[in-house]
Amino acid sequence: MVAARLPLPISRRLGHAALHLLVILLCLLTVFPLFWMLSTAFKPATEVFRPGVQLIPDAPTLANFPEAFRVFPIGWWFVNSTVIAVATTLGKLAVSLPAAYAFTRLDFPGRRLCFSLVLGTMIVPFVVTVIPSYVIVAKLEWLNTRQGVIVPSIAHTAFYVFLLRQYIATLPQELFDAARIDGAGPWTILWRIVVPNVRPAIAVVTILAFLAAWNQYIWPLLILNDLDTKTLAVGMQFFARNSDSTQLWGAMMATATLATIPPLALYALAQKRIISTFVTSGIKG
Amino acid sequence: MATSRSQIQRTVGAGGEGSARAGARRALTAEAGFGYLFVAPLLLLIVAFIYWPLLYSAYLSLYDWNFVSPDWRFVGASNYTRLPDDPRFRLAVWQTVVYVLALVPIKVFLPLGLALLLWPIRRSRAQGVYRLMLFTPTVISFAVAALVWLWIFNPLQGVLNQMILGAGGSRINWLSNPQMAIWCVIIVSTWKVLGFNLLLYLAALEAVPDEYVEAGSIDGAGGWHLLRYIRWPLITPTFFFILVTTVIFVNDEVFSAISVLTDGGPFDRSINLVFYLYQQAFRYFQIGMASAVAIILSLAVMLLTWLQFRFVERHVHYG
Repeated sequence: MVAARLPLPISRRLGHAALHLLVILLCLLTVFPLFWMLSTAFKPATEVFRPGVQLIPDAPTLANFPEAFRVFPIGWWFVNSTVIAVATTLGKLAVSLPAAYAFTRLDFPGRRLCFSLVLGTMIVPFVVTVIPSYVIVAKLEWLNTRQGVIVPSIAHTAFYVFLLRQYIATLPQELFDAARIDGAGPWTILWRIVVPNVRPAIAVVTILAFLAAWNQYIWPLLILNDLDTKTLAVGMQFFARNSDSTQLWGAMMATATLATIPPLALYALAQKRIISTFVTSGIKG
Repeated sequence: MATSRSQIQRTVGAGGEGSARAGARRALTAEAGFGYLFVAPLLLLIVAFIYWPLLYSAYLSLYDWNFVSPDWRFVGASNYTRLPDDPRFRLAVWQTVVYVLALVPIKVFLPLGLALLLWPIRRSRAQGVYRLMLFTPTVISFAVAALVWLWIFNPLQGVLNQMILGAGGSRINWLSNPQMAIWCVIIVSTWKVLGFNLLLYLAALEAVPDEYVEAGSIDGAGGWHLLRYIRWPLITPTFFFILVTTVIFVNDEVFSAISVLTDGGPFDRSINLVFYLYQQAFRYFQIGMASAVAIILSLAVMLLTWLQFRFVERHVHYG
């Protein structure tokens, strides 16, 4: 710690400068496609199709956004994506948190077996569940509905159970003993002790689950076939494949920009917290 | 649910006795009742949408069925034995191998290298910006990412070909060239997924206790030795976790990129087994054959996972 305050030797500083340069280059390479998306989203059609590479639009325009809404029901896609992502996230929290608490602090016969069953789902490849889950959803007459996407997705939550369990395990046992002596039952302890104390982990699970649900593709692609019921991720693929719209790159990039804003904003807000939770919970196979 | 309700009823029934022992037993059973109550919704969901589908897929793979018809014809193992005769299946197997062999090392080692690059400059103020930028592609949807790349790869107006033309080269048909398409999908997948594993590695490096590293440097260990003998062993659990999860998820992840970028083409030259399964089930309604593919793929992934636990995990140091 003392060493950190001393000025670094010249060779070390040169090394760091070289590292910075290399990393900056990689960063630029990484964000270029998104920069290009933004740039195209604000270009008038004449500039979109002008030969050569033009990084910044000459005459930036917002026209691509209303154009996108005119061609496809982007508003509905946005609503669908939001409702599905929020409901899936809440659903995952609602089933994962009590289970994670039960697996760490409650004693019941078969606890280990139940936990193994939950962890075991992590090695079941998603594709093997697709056809039967589709049959179930069809039987329930949930095709083309939001619940058809949401309910089966909630089952894929083992990673979050694991993360929450690791976090709850770090809480001191005295906390639980004290609550029990005061006469609190498991239900009260869950709400009054567990939930307030694992807030950082809940925040991380919320963000990761929201991102995953917002971005999921295969499952909504199968379930949502009517144009109005699609999510942004699925609708955009339709955008690109539909022969009436394949040349509307400006409008497509405008939609892509809209679809990118919620997840990026969420991540930018929470980046530090996500890293520190991974540090404390210790991801260990 | 049934279990938990009967547990609670038993608890209530036991409430009549007043002795301390009965009280203790009551507390225990009440606790068990709550235990079941708390895990019941989760277990119900995973049985309904993960374990039962696993078994049902195995069952479906023995039948000839088209999703809607009321008749199911039992065909035994013929869905499995017919598969190798399908040239598209053989292509999908081969290309799945290519995807896995290319993407697993890329996804496991490239973020590790990046994390080690970022580590010495972690105290720099720019670090947060770097992390944010490198992680951006991971945060956005695969479908949106692929759409952006579709525009970049566009043979006529795409920026990539415009750059090549500007540098005096000639146009490349990125996605419609049968030899090139699969590599385009791999490039997009690499770009898309680098960030998450990078984040896990950085968290692991951060969790290495400073005292260990200090003790090492007092003993005269240089940068390489500190990495090789102190940091690396301590981050092996994360390495193993990333290796195992990458192998499990890689085929599903590639699906979205294929779907948007190439739709499997040209001439199926970019499909993997997941995409083949999707085509068989949802375009040709060959449910039996598609289920057979699902079972084969799952067994392969589980076997690979087991092999990793058997042969790689022994080199992992759990703190």
